[in-house]
Amino acid sequence: MFNLPMSGVNVLDLTSNAAGPYCTRLLADYGASVIKVEIPNSGDPARKVPPFFDDGESGEGSSLFMFLNTGKQSLTLDLKDNRGLEVMKKLIINADILVENFRPGVMESLSLDYESVSQLNNSIVYTSISNFGQTGPHRDWKGSDLVLYGMGGPMINTGHPDKEPLQLANYLPSFHVGATAAAATSIALWGAEATGEGDWLDINFFETLMGHIDRRSTALLNHQYDGTISTRPPVAGTPGSGIWPTADGGYFFTTVLANRFPAMAKMIGAEHLLEDPLWATPAARAAPERVDEFSAIVILWMLEHTKSEIRDEVEKVGVYGGPINNIGELLQDKHFEERNFFQQIKHPVSGSLTYPGYNFRMTVGDQQEDISDRRPAPLLGENTDEILSNQLGMDQSIIESLRKAKVV
Amino acid sequence: MVSKDKPPKKLPLEGIRILDFTVVWAGPFATQLLAEWGAEVIRVESTKFFPSTTRGTLARPSKELVQQGGIGGYPDKDPGHRPWNRAALFNVHARNKLSMTVDLTNPEGQEIFADLVSKSDGLIENNAIATMERAGVSWEKLSKINPEFVLVRMPAFGISGPYKSYRTFGSHMESLVGHYSLFGYQGETPEASGTSLFADPASGVAGALAFMSGLRHRRNTGKGIQIETATAENFANQLGPHILNYSMEEDVPEYIGNRHPVYAPQGVYPCKGEDRWISITITDDLEWQKLSSLIGSGELSKKDDYNNVQKRRMHHDVIDEEISKWTINHDSIELMNILQNNGIPAGAVMNEKDAFEDPHLQQRNYWEELTHPEAGTYKYPGVLWKSNAIDNKLRRAAPRLGEDNEYVYKTILGYSNEQYEAYEKNGHIGMDYDDSIQ
Repeated sequence: MFNLPMSGVNVLDLTSNAAGPYCTRLLADYGASVIKVEIPNSGDPARKVPPFFDDGESGEGSSLFMFLNTGKQSLTLDLKDNRGLEVMKKLIINADILVENFRPGVMESLSLDYESVSQLNNSIVYTSISNFGQTGPHRDWKGSDLVLYGMGGPMINTGHPDKEPLQLANYLPSFHVGATAAAATSIALWGAEATGEGDWLDINFFETLMGHIDRRSTALLNHQYDGTISTRPPVAGTPGSGIWPTADGGYFFTTVLANRFPAMAKMIGAEHLLEDPLWATPAARAAPERVDEFSAIVILWMLEHTKSEIRDEVEKVGVYGGPINNIGELLQDKHFEERNFFQQIKHPVSGSLTYPGYNFRMTVGDQQEDISDRRPAPLLGENTDEILSNQLGMDQSIIESLRKAKVV
Repeated sequence: MVSKDKPPKKLPLEGIRILDFTVVWAGPFATQLLAEWGAEVIRVESTKFFPSTTRGTLARPSKELVQQGGIGGYPDKDPGHRPWNRAALFNVHARNKLSMTVDLTNPEGQEIFADLVSKSDGLIENNAIATMERAGVSWEKLSKINPEFVLVRMPAFGISGPYKSYRTFGSHMESLVGHYSLFGYQGETPEASGTSLFADPASGVAGALAFMSGLRHRRNTGKGIQIETATAENFANQLGPHILNYSMEEDVPEYIGNRHPVYAPQGVYPCKGEDRWISITITDDLEWQKLSSLIGSGELSKKDDYNNVQKRRMHHDVIDEEISKWTINHDSIELMNILQNNGIPAGAVMNEKDAFEDPHLQQRNYWEELTHPEAGTYKYPGVLWKSNAIDNKLRRAAPRLGEDNEYVYKTILGYSNEQYEAYEKNGHIGMDYDDSIQ
């Protein structure tokens, strides 16, 4: 069995919805033991986010929830009840990491703020994920992926120049912040293990997206450099860049690199342009009218070829571009198939579904051992008894009394 | 956060040395995050090779081209004497990093590189497979020199499989893995919806986590490791819910524009002025009541028509129109404050100026000033997350090409002054790209 880098690391997961769970799922993927603490009876609100495999009533069939919570254990616990809090404190003593994404102030109201937790366990890495951070004038503002991508991220640059700015696929900002929190937690854990002293990390959407290398951070420095206020660029901004229809869909090209245009001209059988003074040099091609002129030429070639033919050709000649696929096409893609990227994970409610593989692979080169597929997301409270009796040594009678009082 | 009167703590990654072979965005973002927390990140560069879209798009763009706006990103729109040290594209992420130069295309350069590998903890790269083959970067070779080495490779599609030699930008990997079928204006095509570059930063974050995982593996086993972070696979993971949905329904969803899969209304609405917008997400009925009473009279005052989310989803078009009629008369920043003060999730779509003027970021000391000897003094987005134990600040501006050659060759590698001069003469050491590079 491959020794996973996070094995032996205990994570208390007080997160819900999307960003926090993506963080703890990454930690679980690489070997951490993650206890997901959920509210008795209702659990993580993501359990009720459609679409569902079933009618949604069970709280077990949400694709979002199933995706985000593989490899974790579920413990139901009422943190507002003193007995629940006592259980939590015992778990804290054995934990290496605590991750939470409540609104700022909620952990304090539960007596689980960093000061209190670090008194129980001084070496714990305590990661707080929030919309705007734990301090500052917007601390208590509300957010959504759209609102926060618009404020922090490069949404002013996303979409069509003649239309309103556009969001990306659902959940991407949340997952990005969650992944950042996993990296941050991992870095802080490295320090905590060396010194025996933990830390409290303040990670938030607004600042994480503001430092996003996807245009935003460059645009911010660029604004300092020359005053530029950026907007949405045209898809086809230079000749040879754009999205064009093919025989079976669409293909997206970027030939912003000055030396890629000749390769593209050759690929589509338009070498003659390279002899023409209107096209021969980068400066000549920078004339705005070249964009539409080239589109008119390239589109005829595109329509005669399939995405797969174009992809093979593009690789051969060294033009930068990619097919416009949908998820169905991705699932059929030969490359992902050959690399065994996708996993079939069997869940007690949904049955077997296709999940994406790991974010990175630790078993390459001469190391042939394979990291196995993930375990399915836990049913609500699935591991409550096991955790209370095995990890905390609680008697079955005490567990039953907690259950009767709806603490677990 | 809690303040403590203690001597400053060490950054967690102090003492970790990383060789940085990264280009464009994805790889540099990984090494940016590691450098921010104390790793000594040394960019291994060459005066004989200009990696495009890294230290600028071209090595020596003309002043005219820069001023036309064709190639942006130089202080005062002036590429200067050494444009590669003045490009915003590079300077924004290369803060805290070091730069050395070596020509890896000859045996002498390879010997220097081997010395570097033996004195470093790891290497991070995100190049085409062929480029790394030419540079002599392979697990077989590096693990022989340093059996405890952590090698993180971030190629587009991975180091195996049918697409291993397929060169693309992150945005093309996104289109291939299906992202462009998942965002777009309602009823529109991908061509009319614009492009996304989200895979690069996503990959950078994964690369940083991968490197940390490699360090842990080394500590746990005493052995080095090669880790593969394929940008396309990492991004496909972030499309996870959509993959499960397809697996359940085999259905390709239609574009939803700026709407939310559950809540309504949600949208981006026009404000007063050019290219000014506000995003609003109504997550419950109470927020809706507040919004409709702020808007006041008009269509939305027919309260019963919209008093639950099902009705609001059904009448989303009419609601959007009414909200737009109201927002267009307001300043986006003022309106954001009004809405948030009323408990409504809303935010201005911020441009660069809005971001620098935002009081929250100012109060949290998000922006940090750095002085670069050839670019000047400017504010940068600061460290991406805050630590309670360490008041972590940016340490230095981006390195000029070859700026740290003396430190690397003499202090780290222990070469004599004579050897240094010989390497300089042999074309390894320098601060200018070859004249032949345009």
